Amino acid sequence: MTRNQPDRSQRALLEESTDLHRDAMRQTNVVLDELVERHDDQHSVDPDEAADHAAALRASITERDEATSSSSMLASAGVAGAMAAGLVALSASAASAGTPTDIQILQTQASLENLAVATYGVALTLPFIGGSSAIPVVKAFVTQTKTQHLEHAQTFNAALRRLKGKPQNNPDPVLLKVVNAAKPKLTTPSAVVALALELENGAAATYVKYVATLKDPASKSLTASIMGVEAQHVAILLAVQALIGAGDASMITLPPPLASLPSVAGSVGFPQPFFSIAQARPATEGAVN
Amino acid sequence: MPFKKNIHDVRRSPLEISEKELSSLTSDMIDAHEGTKSVSREAVANWQEVSGVATQALSSEFSRRRLLAFGGLAAVGVAVAGVEMHTPGIAAAASSKSAPIDVRVAALAASLENLAVYTYSAGLKAATAGKLGTVPPAVATFATTAMAQHADHADVWNSTLKSAGYAKVTKPDPKELVTVNNAFAKVTTIAGLAELALLLEGVAAATYLEGLSVVTSSAAKATAASIQPVEMQHVAILRFVLGEYPVPSAFASTAMSRPLSDNPYL
Repeated sequence: MTRNQPDRSQRALLEESTDLHRDAMRQTNVVLDELVERHDDQHSVDPDEAADHAAALRASITERDEATSSSSMLASAGVAGAMAAGLVALSASAASAGTPTDIQILQTQASLENLAVATYGVALTLPFIGGSSAIPVVKAFVTQTKTQHLEHAQTFNAALRRLKGKPQNNPDPVLLKVVNAAKPKLTTPSAVVALALELENGAAATYVKYVATLKDPASKSLTASIMGVEAQHVAILLAVQALIGAGDASMITLPPPLASLPSVAGSVGFPQPFFSIAQARPATEGAVN
Repeated sequence: MPFKKNIHDVRRSPLEISEKELSSLTSDMIDAHEGTKSVSREAVANWQEVSGVATQALSSEFSRRRLLAFGGLAAVGVAVAGVEMHTPGIAAAASSKSAPIDVRVAALAASLENLAVYTYSAGLKAATAGKLGTVPPAVATFATTAMAQHADHADVWNSTLKSAGYAKVTKPDPKELVTVNNAFAKVTTIAGLAELALLLEGVAAATYLEGLSVVTSSAAKATAASIQPVEMQHVAILRFVLGEYPVPSAFASTAMSRPLSDNPYL
């Protein structure tokens, strides 16, 4: 990584990205405000609670914004715009009581996101993931991915509130045992990547399996907009796993040394033409009792 | 962008891949691809089950409002290599209502998958002919694998079309084909090919995401849901190849979705 001293073109890119990000933030804030007003108007939840939720979302975006600004590698236009897109589905439809199945699915999905946030948080305390000996791109990926899962959890919980369901703020109880059992063995980047893969595959497969089951259109759209992102996390983790396994960890850079990348790096990230639901979690696994 | 410059620099210190090696790679991929056929066959079986549902899922369940939204979202311009993708607009999308919505989405999806297969095939031929400079092995593997997966996707959509009594869509959308051909004519490097592929993959992923909100049968939803994440994975790896952050957004977007009117067959 040679990005500590950005050149003129990189600075221009960063400035452009910041401008676009600011515009997208404006759009996001409008959507968040609409979401709060809608909640307020319909008295479906405590307005203060909705406002707190919006503030939490803004805080998470600000946190990500700072992370983005501090690393040119993460500078990417339109990130907050996509955040807004995910919330549009929630704000575009009126609140009404959700079906028990919808609520259980959304709670389970929130629990998977909560677990991912917690697990990536633990990973970042490890010196070879979040510390001085970490691969910079891996550290940045874990940091960004944790933030994305936080946003997913918050939007699933926003959907639950809109459907008059209880938010789920705890991790999936079954997978939590898997994570806790794995913690003492997280002594290498490979072990962390393997655990992350299990969680990401579980989340993506769950969303793919149940997106067609959800009755609430906004919740369906929200789930659909997240499942592919989890699949992208899987793809990158598979590529990282392959490179580390082949002793090519030095190739995990942006941009990568394209000519030197092993052939398998081009395909390992998408092993099947149809995303498997074999690792989907039961719909009720993370439901609030 | 500075990232792109680095990719071009990489191309000047090549790891050559010969036609023989590319053919061997393709053969290997075909073998590997056979391993996924069971998944594909299962999906086809699911579609055969749904064919009756698809034919009954008349557009009465598909409100004009939603159709307009579908076309409206798709009217966002997409540009590559200075060429704007075809954006027929709302009226054109709304006028194509002759077949059940699931069938029309299946036809649109098949035409997009065919377009992807066509583009990757053309790219591999150009690479083999040395028109794109040296081809990194990882890029060749990507193109070969992604092409095979898009062919599988097209097969599944065509199976349901056939089961529902409609003709298979075996060619790319002719309107988009013109756009892609114009863009492809300007591609002279692997990075340029990757940019074009990134656009097509993004369009496919967005179209599936949009399609999920309009199809009515559970099998159509399940099929679209099982393909959209794979297109998103293609996007992530392409962004990595191009030196861009691979997962920049927490939520997928429908902004580049194609309208139903793109499908000229139904």
